[in-house]
Amino acid sequence: MAVDSLNFPAKPPADPNLDMGLALVAQQRKERLIQTVKIGVVWVGLIIFLIALLLQFNFDPAYVFAHYRFVLEGMLITIGISMASIAAATVLALLGALGRLSHNPIAQGVSGFYVSLVRGTPLLIQIYIIYLGLPQIGSTLNSMGYSEIGRLFTLTAVQSGILALSLNYGAYMTEIFRAGIQSIGHGQREAAESIGMSRWQIMRRVILPQAVRVIIPDIGNQFIAMQKDSAQVSVMGIWEMTYRANRFARQDSKFMEMFVVAAAFYWLLTIVSSWLEGMLERRMAHAYER
Amino acid sequence: MKKFYIAFTMFVVLGLLLSACGGTATADNKLEEILARGTLIVSTDPAYPPQSELVEGGARAENTKCASDQHTSSELTGFDIDVALAIAEKLGVEACFVTPDWTLITGGNWANRWDISIGSMTITPERMSKLYFTQPYYTTPAAFYVYTDNTTYTDPAELAGKKIGACTGCTYDAYLAGTLQIPGETFDYVVANPDFVGYETDLNALQDLALGDGVRLDAVLTAQPTGAGVIADGFPLKQLGEPVYFEYLAGAIDIASTPDPAPFVQKITEVLLELHEDGTLLQLSQQYYGLDLTTAAGLFDWEMLDQFK
Repeated sequence: MAVDSLNFPAKPPADPNLDMGLALVAQQRKERLIQTVKIGVVWVGLIIFLIALLLQFNFDPAYVFAHYRFVLEGMLITIGISMASIAAATVLALLGALGRLSHNPIAQGVSGFYVSLVRGTPLLIQIYIIYLGLPQIGSTLNSMGYSEIGRLFTLTAVQSGILALSLNYGAYMTEIFRAGIQSIGHGQREAAESIGMSRWQIMRRVILPQAVRVIIPDIGNQFIAMQKDSAQVSVMGIWEMTYRANRFARQDSKFMEMFVVAAAFYWLLTIVSSWLEGMLERRMAHAYER
Repeated sequence: MKKFYIAFTMFVVLGLLLSACGGTATADNKLEEILARGTLIVSTDPAYPPQSELVEGGARAENTKCASDQHTSSELTGFDIDVALAIAEKLGVEACFVTPDWTLITGGNWANRWDISIGSMTITPERMSKLYFTQPYYTTPAAFYVYTDNTTYTDPAELAGKKIGACTGCTYDAYLAGTLQIPGETFDYVVANPDFVGYETDLNALQDLALGDGVRLDAVLTAQPTGAGVIADGFPLKQLGEPVYFEYLAGAIDIASTPDPAPFVQKITEVLLELHEDGTLLQLSQQYYGLDLTTAAGLFDWEMLDQFK
């Protein structure tokens, strides 16, 4: 009869431990769902409260629905400037972090000075200096006879905005990249050296692929901050969302209405970007999932 | 490594290409350059209706000579815009618009990004150190505004020592400080020791005054058309007494423009005098303000400014 006992029955006997485990998981899932619903209710409550508050300030919802499109037309410019700037800032930050971690005194000095200077001055002033100051260097070069090079210093408003935002965020992100690179254990570097990898190979094949995973959430965070800081380029007359809201509001003195429209669109934009960033983060974490 | 170099090089090259899109025309003076280019690049800050404002749903004109970062006349409207269009028509070129912040316009050193400001700019000696002025195209009366329920004040002189709001760095600021100078005018500073409160624009000051009598401000000094405009929009304000002074508002051209801007300034002055004479400007003034704000500007003695020393 020993052979019979080896034949598995069509249905395995109930395992009390498995059942309990499944019940526990189902219970947890249910609790999480209830918690999500509760949080959702709180959000809806807060949004209703916010709208009720707005209506107290002489707020005209009909005006919002009639004119929101004018602000919306600026969203592509806001997105475009932010994307171009975050891309350039990422390159700058990588170079900056490599400089800060290098043993070369020039690289260390330049990147340290860059971070200190740019992080220590307001973005708005940087925008003015790039927009107003660079052309004056250009005209000096012009008068010295280098008119081809001199002309490159006169940037348009959009170029100045992208340059200022990239420089500014590049400085903040240099520190993020540096911390990300340093978070990779020193033992890995030594192991890579021992099999004869060059410093660049170690950086490219061992350190950066792991560091990127640590850095991505912070880049996402900076990108969200940048979308809102891009409002500052409106001083140069770029028709992005803030400019459109502000200038349009003046026609009928409906500032609250147009600013609320712009705020809502920025909010929407950051919700979408944080969702995208979350997806990217989960993708990056694949290798580490159990 | 290789990919990185390629990406980096592409990035640099792209940047250089974008920057190289500037004008390459070589002309003896600014006027020739503009006529050869076929466009007059005008700066305007659409923050001041009815002089300049944005058009909702105003699509960019097709078949335009304006560069991609400039706006066509279909996207903006107002008195200044129509004056700019009338000037461009006389020159036989297309008017294109850029919208930098007002402080960037008045500061000069435009790096040839735009040719002229048609932005209701008051002629002042400080501005004349950075900008050439054309013949003025109209005048603006400056007046005090108070809260509508106020009965204490009957004359601007009674505002002595009170909190008065105005835009920072504009002529109202200078008038309140007692330092305003407009060539060809003498001023009677009727308000003694005002407690000046500065704002980014006049409208912010008017909004604060509209909160209530003395809540944040006792009065605002601003342009009569601006004050009348917000009252028409329902602001609870009223004008106090007669206008305290008049400003001459003209086109401005960067002294640092290259090539030589002098013939251009001369030509715009001639064009504006023609527009005064044939009644174009008066008609626009009637259309936008319901008033004759232009006749006095046509009589202004431009030669007296003596700008090309």
